[in-house]
Amino acid sequence: MAGLTPSQTVGPFFDRQLLWSDGGSILFAGQGERITLTGRVLDGNGVPVVDALFETWQADGAGKLPSGGEGARPYGYGRVSTGEDGAYTIDTVMPGAFKGAGGETYAPQISVTIFARGLLKGVQTRVFLVPLDAIKDDPLARAVGDPERLRTLVATRDPGNPKSYRWDVRLRGAGETVFIEP
Amino acid sequence: MVETHAADAHPPYLYPDYKSTRLRAPAQPLVRVPPSPLEAASPSFPKQFVKDSEADLTTWGTSAPLGEKMVLVGRVLDDGGRPVRRSLVELWQANASGKYPHPVDDHDAPQDPNFLGKGQVLTDDEGRYRFVTVKPGAYPWQNHAFAWRPAHIHLSLFGNAYAQRLITQMFFPGDPLCVIDPIFNSVPEAGRTLLVAELDLEHGIEGVALGYRFDIVLRGTRATPMGV
Repeated sequence: MAGLTPSQTVGPFFDRQLLWSDGGSILFAGQGERITLTGRVLDGNGVPVVDALFETWQADGAGKLPSGGEGARPYGYGRVSTGEDGAYTIDTVMPGAFKGAGGETYAPQISVTIFARGLLKGVQTRVFLVPLDAIKDDPLARAVGDPERLRTLVATRDPGNPKSYRWDVRLRGAGETVFIEP
Repeated sequence: MVETHAADAHPPYLYPDYKSTRLRAPAQPLVRVPPSPLEAASPSFPKQFVKDSEADLTTWGTSAPLGEKMVLVGRVLDDGGRPVRRSLVELWQANASGKYPHPVDDHDAPQDPNFLGKGQVLTDDEGRYRFVTVKPGAYPWQNHAFAWRPAHIHLSLFGNAYAQRLITQMFFPGDPLCVIDPIFNSVPEAGRTLLVAELDLEHGIEGVALGYRFDIVLRGTRATPMGV
């Protein structure tokens, strides 16, 4: 079989095709506790990345994998771009934990892919919506090990608004976010 | 099946000749974990997500867009050669003058009111897709002195698993700008030809549009956890 088609950067001009109106307001078939996840994407100098495509994919409030969609939108999937301050926001539900085929437990998490000018391939990772001590048995937490690095994947709850979670992504340098190779 | 290690096919994150990678490329090693059950599944794009008219970028305006009309056909396959069926393929590109309808595009070239430069289709049961568009123009960029991007078409793919997600660019055969383009050259040499479409006259439209073929191979879903 021929080789894999290589990745190339999304570049700066993707908005018209890839952005959807309300792409950050994520639909689900069932009910769930609505939350927001917000933060900034920063480069190796801590400068906001203003032209990233930020995609999210997650289980519903019961930990069920989404299937199907509503109208012309898939369930469970979000897509926004960062703004001039590097910020993104998604409005979603608190995902439930789910099981792997081997019985392992995946802590409440959202799979995230970020594409941008200057990223020759997207970066993929998972953000956890429960505290560090609640993810010890998660497969990714086990693979990362080092709690300092793992902390880069844990969203923090806004003390003033318990329905709001904050998670910054550092593409490079001090406090660099953990990224995964699928 | 021989495992294809994705790292062999794709460019590195850091490729200093492409300046924007210097501050955006992760420096830490990636953590290898199998796709989660979530990542082994994919968002489902219902049929109504895509309108038939979105496969033809040349009929959007009040008259035909400027430039050389072309048909782009291809198949989306996984690395085992299996068709990726009913999967979303999104396309965006510059117009024939090398201009995007985007506020940050400061290239002094005309917009084409009859060309939006975007389209989308779902693959069929054989993994096939087809777009009608115009050949995009090359354009200058500020990466280095006299830098010009070769003509290219951006493609975004979902596959049947989120872990297959791919964004890439397709280039044109015989374009002398490819070999001096750091984005093209960021790909390990053996893989560069996989980014170049082939002329495919029979899939063109006689007397109207040149045909090109660009097949796309996504990483397999072999890594589905625990052999599901």
